[in-house]
Amino acid sequence: MSSRSVAAAAACVIAVASLLGGCATAAKSDAMVAEPVAIAHTSSSDVSVVVSGGKATSGMGASQISDDGFAQALRDSITKSGLFKSVAASGGRYKLAAFIGKVDQPIMGLSMTVKMEVSYTLTDTQSGKTVWSKNVASEHTAKMGDAFAGVARLRLANEGAAKANIQQALTEISSIQL
Amino acid sequence: MNRLTRIGMLLPALLLTACATSNSARAPDADLHKLKTFYVARLPADERGIEKLIASRLNVMGYQCTSGDLQTPASPVDAVVTYQDHWMWDITMYMIKLDIQVHDGATGAILANGEVSRPSLQRKSPEGMVEETLGVVFK
Repeated sequence: MSSRSVAAAAACVIAVASLLGGCATAAKSDAMVAEPVAIAHTSSSDVSVVVSGGKATSGMGASQISDDGFAQALRDSITKSGLFKSVAASGGRYKLAAFIGKVDQPIMGLSMTVKMEVSYTLTDTQSGKTVWSKNVASEHTAKMGDAFAGVARLRLANEGAAKANIQQALTEISSIQL
Repeated sequence: MNRLTRIGMLLPALLLTACATSNSARAPDADLHKLKTFYVARLPADERGIEKLIASRLNVMGYQCTSGDLQTPASPVDAVVTYQDHWMWDITMYMIKLDIQVHDGATGAILANGEVSRPSLQRKSPEGMVEETLGVVFK
């Protein structure tokens, strides 16, 4: 076998290994929980959380952010921040609805940047009025040093973008007097 | 080139030959039938004029649509459309994925989205990708 053939074969083995480097896993909810935000106002009422627009992750596909995973991260972030009295499973005084409208992921790359947009709506369930709504954009880049396997790097980029998004949303909600 | 090398070169190609997929989602209570006027904001990185293809297709679908470089339209519209096109090379460049979002013209909230992915062997022209993705969004 010539040295050129050996090099070509080695390159193919590396390409296959990187493609098979692991199955894709969904963004983990605990990795999407926001750091405690600077709270301007807190509410003495409870809130329930509803999320839509997320996607399930298939093993051979790309890492995705699921409705359940994002909702859990949102609940945990609210609890950690103390923004509301408590997070109710359903029927809270306030309802925070989040629609994951955009998760722009790269097909491949050494540095992977995920750009995300979530439309949030906070409704007072007693009056039925929308007290706050906003389209929040965020992004996060995961580099080669963060994870060697592309599937893991994409998951980290997803988680970072979601975490930044939740953090920004809670900061804005805390600025309104409920 | 020996047989081992040939087989090795085929493997990545086989692994990258996935199926075409499409997805869409709609915000709770979003009613796209109410929308009449649209503006497609050009993605700053797009130099292929995909925004014009989207606007053209929306006009064919019976909506009033314009496009431009500004991220917000000069005059009020019912909805603003944004998109992200992803390209790959395989003999020639082709669009592997197109994402489209429809935003409320007044609030900027995303009302609906759709995405279509097509691998090399099932590639479509940019016009075909736009038509398929808008079909998914408005289905």
